[in-house]
Amino acid sequence: MTTLVGQPVISTTSLTKSYGRSRGIIDVDLEVRAGEVFGFLGPNGAGKTTTIRLLLDLIRPTRGSARVFGLDVHGERIAIHRRVSYLSGELSLWGDLTGAQLLTYLANLRGGVDPAEIRRLSERLQVELDRRFKTLSRGNKQKIGLVAAFMARPELVILDEPTSGLDPIVQQEFERLVEEVRADGRTVFLSSHILPEVEHLCDRVGIIREGRLVTVEAVAELKRRALRRLELDFAAAVPPDPFRAVPGVRDVEVHEGVVRCTVQGSLDALVKLAARYEVIDLHVVETSLEEIFLAYYGEEMNGHAAA
Amino acid sequence: MLLRNVFLKSLRDLRWPSFWTGLGMAVLGFYFMWLYPTFGKQLDLQAMVDAFPPAIKALVGGSLIDLSSPEGFLNMELFPLMLPLILGGFAMAVASGATAGEESRGTLDVLLAAPIGRLPVLVEKVAAIVLATVAVAVCLFVAIWGGAAFTGTALALDKVAAAVALATLLALAFGALTLAIAAFTGERAVALGIAGAVLVVTYFVNALAPMVDALDRIRGLSPFYYYIGSDPVRNGLDVGHAAILGALAVTLFVVALVAFERRDLTA
Repeated sequence: MTTLVGQPVISTTSLTKSYGRSRGIIDVDLEVRAGEVFGFLGPNGAGKTTTIRLLLDLIRPTRGSARVFGLDVHGERIAIHRRVSYLSGELSLWGDLTGAQLLTYLANLRGGVDPAEIRRLSERLQVELDRRFKTLSRGNKQKIGLVAAFMARPELVILDEPTSGLDPIVQQEFERLVEEVRADGRTVFLSSHILPEVEHLCDRVGIIREGRLVTVEAVAELKRRALRRLELDFAAAVPPDPFRAVPGVRDVEVHEGVVRCTVQGSLDALVKLAARYEVIDLHVVETSLEEIFLAYYGEEMNGHAAA
Repeated sequence: MLLRNVFLKSLRDLRWPSFWTGLGMAVLGFYFMWLYPTFGKQLDLQAMVDAFPPAIKALVGGSLIDLSSPEGFLNMELFPLMLPLILGGFAMAVASGATAGEESRGTLDVLLAAPIGRLPVLVEKVAAIVLATVAVAVCLFVAIWGGAAFTGTALALDKVAAAVALATLLALAFGALTLAIAAFTGERAVALGIAGAVLVVTYFVNALAPMVDALDRIRGLSPFYYYIGSDPVRNGLDVGHAAILGALAVTLFVVALVAFERRDLTA
């Protein structure tokens, strides 16, 4: 039984976990739909892992509730866990077992997994199956974690910081695995603190900051709103005022033929202005999560000012 | 295949600790039985023990010491302190690893994210611990038996078996205490420390009770009383005492189950 595409797979209502002063999450209302790849983004310590552990019933909420496949995460956890796989960011597996033994044990805990699928994934990721887990490098440990997460072909794959420290080849293979899950109409929920690492994978992202879910948006929308830092190098000195006048452009600095600025939204007007002069080079600095936050809060504050 | 389920995986994890502890126990049991004829015949140990100050005598076995028999010899050397310390220490060490050990290594998250409830996980782990503890105790019993046969010592094996069985129940009760504290705290060192302290204190309460009235009144609170108070090596199994130790172990296990089911696991 597979959840229909578009139906909620994860839904939380006022989900709150308090741990004394600063950690935990507050009133998180989250909905992840079947068939999407959902990115859960936020700086370290923002509450990503706390949310995931609440969804898996490893910890219990202070208040609020969470449902997965419409089932209660606590009362119906075994029914949920049959349809979910989870890869923890810490990659803690039994160090004295070899890769092959670990995958066998994890498969047995699920009541069995098609061995052909384990073989196929292990070959694709070039996993070292015969060495003890604790003797493997971080990258090789992560490959075993990925095989474990994908081998059972679950309806929902939950990945906590899956991309941190992956080498580029494994990163590519990981992205293909995620695409395959999406193509199947199954769902991926992944957390990250680095947007560029996951933005091309995700349909939508939720941004969590200091325990609060600040926004959930389509990646395209987020990028449209995002701030980008640009540097334009011209053949000769350019007048600063036209650049300051372009809508959406801020923090303009002009030194002879070099213009540095921050752009929110479309680059179109700025590029058309720049085209009037002889452009030597153009650098776009990747958007960081912090800058997206800035954009988000900046707009929120503008909204308040206008109201 | 030892990776079929949590029970078999736990047995696999316990195989080396059980093997070495069982081997150590066997060597010890055989050694004492091999030693007894030499000591019993050549040295007047009884006179030496009778000359001990009462407090020292109480600590090594008290009125149970009667070196004219191999049972009395075991009562001095093995049963009062050494056996509970080794067998109890074994049960406590493996019990502290069952949940708290996996929790601190982070593997408990992986285990409990699988489609298996917390209660079955703990029950299967405890079943493996009980089996391992019994196996270690059986090693000791078989070695004592073998040692007695080897030296031609007449020994009431049924009564030795009763004493070893009571020691196993005592060890399981302390193992269950460790498990319960570990289930509450998630801290292996805390669980071992507190349970170890309880073991030492309750040992002294029972051992010194004959000389200190205040301790004598609370002797019934010490699990050691139900283990050795009936002098099982000479009198055989006191079913009531065995039942009390068993009930204590089961109660603490239920406490551990409830605590483990309810707790937030540490990340």
